Amino acid sequence: MIGRKPLPITNRVAAYRERHGAMSQAALAEAIGVSRQTVVAIEKGHYSPSLETAFRIARLFEVGVEDVFGWEER
Amino acid sequence: MSFRELSAWVMGVLLCVTGADYLKTYLAAAQADGGAPPPLELFMPYAGVVVVASIIAQIVLAALAPKDADRPPDERERPLLWRAGHWAGLVQGGLCVAAVLYVGHSGNSAILFHLVVGGLIVSQIVEYALQIVFLRAGA
Repeated sequence: MIGRKPLPITNRVAAYRERHGAMSQAALAEAIGVSRQTVVAIEKGHYSPSLETAFRIARLFEVGVEDVFGWEER
Repeated sequence: MSFRELSAWVMGVLLCVTGADYLKTYLAAAQADGGAPPPLELFMPYAGVVVVASIIAQIVLAALAPKDADRPPDERERPLLWRAGHWAGLVQGGLCVAAVLYVGHSGNSAILFHLVVGGLIVSQIVEYALQIVFLRAGA
């Protein structure tokens, strides 16, 4: 969307999905209990997930939260 | 398009169509009666049609996507839906106050019911429209 301010929280969810047997967005959404649109928003950097959801994603991919999410001053 | 957005579209269109029909019925009846607000009984079928059509629409949507229909709003959707409801509530309150002021000014209390129902319909349409806008903007 034009004019949307980028969030400082970056993520590698799409990359981890690919590594995890090309897991679909819908499958990830189902596994962590959110809608597919929310996974899309997280991957695009339009939405920063709650701490609980961030941990769910990291645990699903069997990595640490900081492996999936980062902080980038913009 | 997400299930929630599709549901908002369907309900919004349903309310636009039935609301327009309400307005048409009101204007036709008022014109036939020299501008006086028509009796409430004339609008009983409207309430029935809205309720039945809403139930049918929700059943069809749920049949198309049973999993999505069963899922409560998630952490991203909840505040967006709440914000849409908040603004729609303000619209409804504003229209109700405007209706009361109008009735107080004009002395035509028979029209109050129709103004409040009209305000309710408009605020619901606003809520569905804002749900669509917020869900799209937040995705």
